[in-house]
Amino acid sequence: MTFLIGQVLQQETDLNMILQTLFSFAFIVYLFYAQRIQSLQMLRQIEVTLRKIKVVKDEARNIAVKTITEIGKPTVDISQRVDRFIDFFNIGLENMDPAGIVDKMDHMLKTNKHIYEAEVKALAPKATVSERSNLENLIEVTQALNMFYKILRHFYLLGKKTQNIYIILQVQMILPQIVQLVEAYKSGIQAFQEGMPIGDSVGPIVTAKLMHGYPQREVAEEIVAAEIPYEGRNLVVFKAKGPGGSVGNPDEGLINILEERQGKVKIIITIDAAGKLEGEPVGQVSEGIGAAIGGSGKEKFRMEEIANKYKIPMHAIAIKQGMEHVVAPLVEPLFDATEKALESVKRIVLDYSEPGDTVVVAGIGNTIGVGQ
Amino acid sequence: MSGQGNAASAASMTANWMAYAAILVVGILSLFSLYMGFQNYGDNQEVALIYMVIGTAGFAAIGYLLFRSRAPIAQDKLDTMKVEVFTTLECPKCQQKRVRDFKRGDFVFKDDEPCTRCDGLMLITKIARKKEEEKKQESTWL
Repeated sequence: MTFLIGQVLQQETDLNMILQTLFSFAFIVYLFYAQRIQSLQMLRQIEVTLRKIKVVKDEARNIAVKTITEIGKPTVDISQRVDRFIDFFNIGLENMDPAGIVDKMDHMLKTNKHIYEAEVKALAPKATVSERSNLENLIEVTQALNMFYKILRHFYLLGKKTQNIYIILQVQMILPQIVQLVEAYKSGIQAFQEGMPIGDSVGPIVTAKLMHGYPQREVAEEIVAAEIPYEGRNLVVFKAKGPGGSVGNPDEGLINILEERQGKVKIIITIDAAGKLEGEPVGQVSEGIGAAIGGSGKEKFRMEEIANKYKIPMHAIAIKQGMEHVVAPLVEPLFDATEKALESVKRIVLDYSEPGDTVVVAGIGNTIGVGQ
Repeated sequence: MSGQGNAASAASMTANWMAYAAILVVGILSLFSLYMGFQNYGDNQEVALIYMVIGTAGFAAIGYLLFRSRAPIAQDKLDTMKVEVFTTLECPKCQQKRVRDFKRGDFVFKDDEPCTRCDGLMLITKIARKKEEEKKQESTWL
């Protein structure tokens, strides 16, 4: 066939001339407009993602309004107030002089929490404390989706306006990660709407399994602890107070527990959800050292500081999961992994402490849908 | 914001009309090309072949254009946001186990409903999403 085409193209026919002209024209067009064509293609890809995110964030907003109305039974229309709160922002701390920034962050996080509590209380006056916590989480998801949409829209329109391929390229390159994050937040909507345990709840589930049936007390804001005898040791187990969606203040919980005992604690074990690398199975339980805790870094800093003050070794147990599992309703392999993590806790206690020792076990993460 | 939205939607509609106009033009030319190909098939085999190649390429381009213009619409439709979640209840007295759909208000370690076998109260011991379909396995050596 190639031979035949070659034969025809070599003949001096009208068709040959037309084809030559067309090819030359296409070549010239491509020579000058290749980048433009590429930009248009990339803009199209961004537009597709943007449309998708818009649908998700609108859906999230509608679900938030519907759920708040259903649970909170407000007497007035809350749509406008929800819309205003979805646009709520907090200004990052100035870190030019980083000394004392952890205290400033603590103050800012507490202010932020107070604002959320007050807003949700006003929006949903009939909701219980647990329900209000879940609604706070639902609004946070809606805010995150709204922020993704606004930022992507900004770069899309900026790229379209300036036709600057480098602006467009930067956004186009990170589109898969953005889609992954949006998908993750999307799956969190149902969990926060209904109050279901999420991937991040694995830490609190492990500690709840230890604490259940033992007397409990509040050791810090939204943190409950219980003392459990185990093989001659005294386990002080704590987690965020459930079943509402809360992470509590585990740093304050640990500080208070250690100060109460003047640091007479043999080891500290923290259990938390951790991001898995591609190829690692969901629900893999790994052990290590250090403070297994994410968040702003404030909690981790303070936990490390108090552990260092009393020179207490910190053991960490990580339950591996993908980004798509963190805020999505808990999948079975992750729930089953909590049993494996519990076994790890017991083994670490036996291996690294003696009878008569006190061991602190902290279940880190969002305790939504998990009692104690 | 709604102004921007309207402008974007108008631009999108214009782009769609332009795409459909291009499809129409290419379609007519391709059809003509194929017709010429069949006309010349007996007499001038080589020229007929060229016409056919052009016609076929034209239809392939139409297919691609249609695929491109429909893709965003198809992708706008999201997968269902809801997943099936079940609650497992166990009776601490008689070990009776029951699994039901999750309902709002359920939480792990909640004393939920009376046991159907004894006079105990069933405890929620597990809340999890129904097992997803097995994804294609990665190569075994990984």
